[in-house]
Amino acid sequence: MKIKAFSIWLVVLIGALLLAYSQVAAQGSDPISSTNRTVIGQRNPDLADGAQALISGDARRGIELTLEGLETAIGNRELKMAHSNLCAGYLMLKDAERALEHCDKVIEIDPNYWRAYNNRALVYLEMGRYEESEADVARGQAIRPKSKKLKIVKGMLLDETQPVQERVEVDERRSAMEGEHDDPQAKIHD
Amino acid sequence: MTRLLIVLLAAAAIAPAAGAAGDIDTEDENTDRVPLHTIIPDYPEEARRDRIEGNVQVCFKISRAGMPWRIAVRKSTNRVFEKPAIKAVRASTFTPLGPTEPVPKIKACRTFRFYLEPVPEDERE
Repeated sequence: MKIKAFSIWLVVLIGALLLAYSQVAAQGSDPISSTNRTVIGQRNPDLADGAQALISGDARRGIELTLEGLETAIGNRELKMAHSNLCAGYLMLKDAERALEHCDKVIEIDPNYWRAYNNRALVYLEMGRYEESEADVARGQAIRPKSKKLKIVKGMLLDETQPVQERVEVDERRSAMEGEHDDPQAKIHD
Repeated sequence: MTRLLIVLLAAAAIAPAAGAAGDIDTEDENTDRVPLHTIIPDYPEEARRDRIEGNVQVCFKISRAGMPWRIAVRKSTNRVFEKPAIKAVRASTFTPLGPTEPVPKIKACRTFRFYLEPVPEDERE
């Protein structure tokens, strides 16, 4: 169960990173190749490489590069990206305190960035601060109501606070569902 | 006259079809088929995550060999449970009939209740 929860957590986190990476990559032609770093348009190769390292699971290297990228970051967009990825990176290392610092900074820069609430909800979850985690999920959902990632985090939160056991019962009686509505879209499956 | 002929011919064409429909699906409690292997569906992950509960009734015919076929959802409270219910019925089997036993034309139905029970505090990890 723990392994499963961790896998889901990783997927949610990597999902957030993918966007960050694609944003950086969109600025240059080849963010991975170091020879391309001086090419015009490659604004912050360290941020791009850091995101790539985080995506590949190398949290330490990812944080190192992102911190370097943070030093030369220009504008709120790059700052937001750097802090967002640092939050995710530190969370990958289970360093929730540091992760929280960076998530807070992202929200400070952009209070309407739902992914930051998603990530901070995960940080609070890791810290056992369930009420704050729930509040962040609610904030994120207020901005992006249909976000699947936020739903997953909410489910993880519920699993921690109100765990449930799945049950399925079989009833052979035809009258078992009397009074319940028919599904108008029922189809035949031969 | 021509019109009458057309009407008569049309009626004649429909008649055999209606006869073929003699095996209209009837639904009855008394299928007399004994379950051999009943598969319990998986609880959909998405439903568990969102704390959704519900019921699905699936009706189906059973072949001489004991295999369900013509499987259809009859009633359902949430579509998320329909696929696992159909999959479970498809994988279930019934006791085969002997060569001289007639295959009932009536449908069998099976209802699946998907629900979640809170884990008591003393049983939590």
